[in-house]
Amino acid sequence: MIFRSEASRGYTLSAPATAYVGFLVAAPLVILIAYSFWTQTYVTLDKTPTLKNYSEAFADPLVRHLMLRSIWIAGAVTVVTVALAYPIAYFIAMKVRKKTIWLLLITIPFWSSYLLRVFAWKLILGFNGVMNSALLMLGLIDEPLDFLLYNEFAVVLTLAHAWAPFAILPIYVSLQKIDPSLLEAATDLGNSPLQRFMRVTLPLTIPGIIAACLIIFIPTVGDYVTPALVGGSDGKMIANLIQVQFGAANNWPLGATLSLIAMLSVGFVAIVFVITATRLGRRIR
Amino acid sequence: MTDRNIIELRGVEKRYGTFLAASGINLDLKEGEFFSLLGPSGCGKTTVLRMIAGFQEPTEGTVLIDGQDMEGVPANNRPTNMVFQSYAIFPHLNVGNNVAYGLRGKAPKAEIEQRVAEALEMVELGGLQDRGASELSGGQRQRVALARALIMRPKVLLLDEPLSALDKKLREQMQFEMRNLQQSLGITFVMVTHDQYEAMTMSDRIGVMFNGRLKQVDTPTTLYARPCDQQVASFIGEMNILPAQLLGETDNMLSIDAAAFGRIEIERNPNVATSSKDMNIGIRPEQLEIAAEKPEDYPSTVQGTVSNVAFYGENIHYHIQVEGAEKPISVSVPNYFHTVDFKRGDAVWLGLQGASVIDLGTDTK
Repeated sequence: MIFRSEASRGYTLSAPATAYVGFLVAAPLVILIAYSFWTQTYVTLDKTPTLKNYSEAFADPLVRHLMLRSIWIAGAVTVVTVALAYPIAYFIAMKVRKKTIWLLLITIPFWSSYLLRVFAWKLILGFNGVMNSALLMLGLIDEPLDFLLYNEFAVVLTLAHAWAPFAILPIYVSLQKIDPSLLEAATDLGNSPLQRFMRVTLPLTIPGIIAACLIIFIPTVGDYVTPALVGGSDGKMIANLIQVQFGAANNWPLGATLSLIAMLSVGFVAIVFVITATRLGRRIR
Repeated sequence: MTDRNIIELRGVEKRYGTFLAASGINLDLKEGEFFSLLGPSGCGKTTVLRMIAGFQEPTEGTVLIDGQDMEGVPANNRPTNMVFQSYAIFPHLNVGNNVAYGLRGKAPKAEIEQRVAEALEMVELGGLQDRGASELSGGQRQRVALARALIMRPKVLLLDEPLSALDKKLREQMQFEMRNLQQSLGITFVMVTHDQYEAMTMSDRIGVMFNGRLKQVDTPTTLYARPCDQQVASFIGEMNILPAQLLGETDNMLSIDAAAFGRIEIERNPNVATSSKDMNIGIRPEQLEIAAEKPEDYPSTVQGTVSNVAFYGENIHYHIQVEGAEKPISVSVPNYFHTVDFKRGDAVWLGLQGASVIDLGTDTK
């Protein structure tokens, strides 16, 4: 018998996933950590362990600047996306009957490639783009606006659009789980619709909001396609610098170090955020 | 209980498309009364309760609470509070904050704390303010829901199947507790239930509903002794319903020829609409005498065979097959020192007195 006990059956069933994760996540991570302690000497690797990469990274104002900007942009994307996603999720969960169709509509952006969507924004926001042409045609502006593209704003807008479904779904699920009689009870106890939302709906959807924030914040900090395409020099992020280290600069150890610093920073911000949000939620009575 | 009407329903009707959830509801509830709306599921009793609470607006008719027309008054501005069937305990709040919910921002902090403590004391949960909502048992949840509603000092407390989620023992205990609470507070309670025993043990009056209509509103004893028709008669307690012929009548008495039991004089039931030639009578199982020998002193006796025996502990139920009756006649005997003990197939005698027979009139349907 292969499946002798409950436990061995569990191990057997989870073995493929464990192997997959082991080879494709744990192993690369170990290699990444190892690299961060090595040194690149032109074409060869010096494998004597050193902290030189770390001291170099921490000393460089560019690294600090890009890291802070990445966190700032990702934070802005998160706030904008969740703020826009909440009403949509609320509408689908509370107000409509054919929820499946609406959820299907939400996923439509995924039917085209992420890259295509970024390019689409480039076409919309560009100097001769859709937006400027339309505004010119309507006579609202005399010359094309040049602050639409190649800056932080463009990055935030593009990412917020791309990640919207990821924010809508977890919030929708947490709204869907709320027992309607809880809302009636709040009304019965004298709450206006707004008070009821602040005191029952919002606190009960905090887990969904936290999930949405993390799902958006963590990947966007490390995004490099969008900033590279629509960010210009103002919109460059930490991932663009890391990409350069692994590419043109050919300094893998420094790239590995920057990756790890980015990872730890994101982890730290995420943990602080989760703790703060949970605490705030508990204070609502 | 006072004579003042706290709730008045005037020709209240609720339609969903073409479906009539409730219609022609006219009802006056007295201040301090424990009133139950009783009926099978889907009869519209919850709809009536929700129209009083303000969660649903009547399609037609008027709801008055304490003399005020409630049209356009939303649920949060009505002087009523509700205990929900699921109890609707806020899962993100502890017991104290659940109970304090409706008072937040409306009273000083110290007063809220004191009133919460009193309310919890009242439902015998004193000192459990810090208990989390998820750590409560079913009975405790029910008490928290009760405290949370009563702390608002409502003019009317509405209860939607408040005991249906509890097990039998706890349910019976809560029936008495809630009744005592209601009497000591003097607040009007309106309870919706499908459980006739619950309604009977707790209520001053009961309104029986079928298919969106209020059939009969009476005290539990009157409902039991003088139901207005077959439907009510068979819903409240157990009832043998037999066809009968009306032979003659005076102001108070009817002379009938009942299936199997023959000619018998019975009292006229003032609650039935009409009693014409073809009518029905009802006999409660505990009102029949059962004996091995032909019983003396009974104007009507009949012989039959035991077709089924069910032992309930406090009493024994017999099904007696009698000639002339379609269905077996149900007889219930108190288990009193085990004086009767018939087996299936035994030949027995049934004895019936006129006073035990309920005139159910002629169905006008």
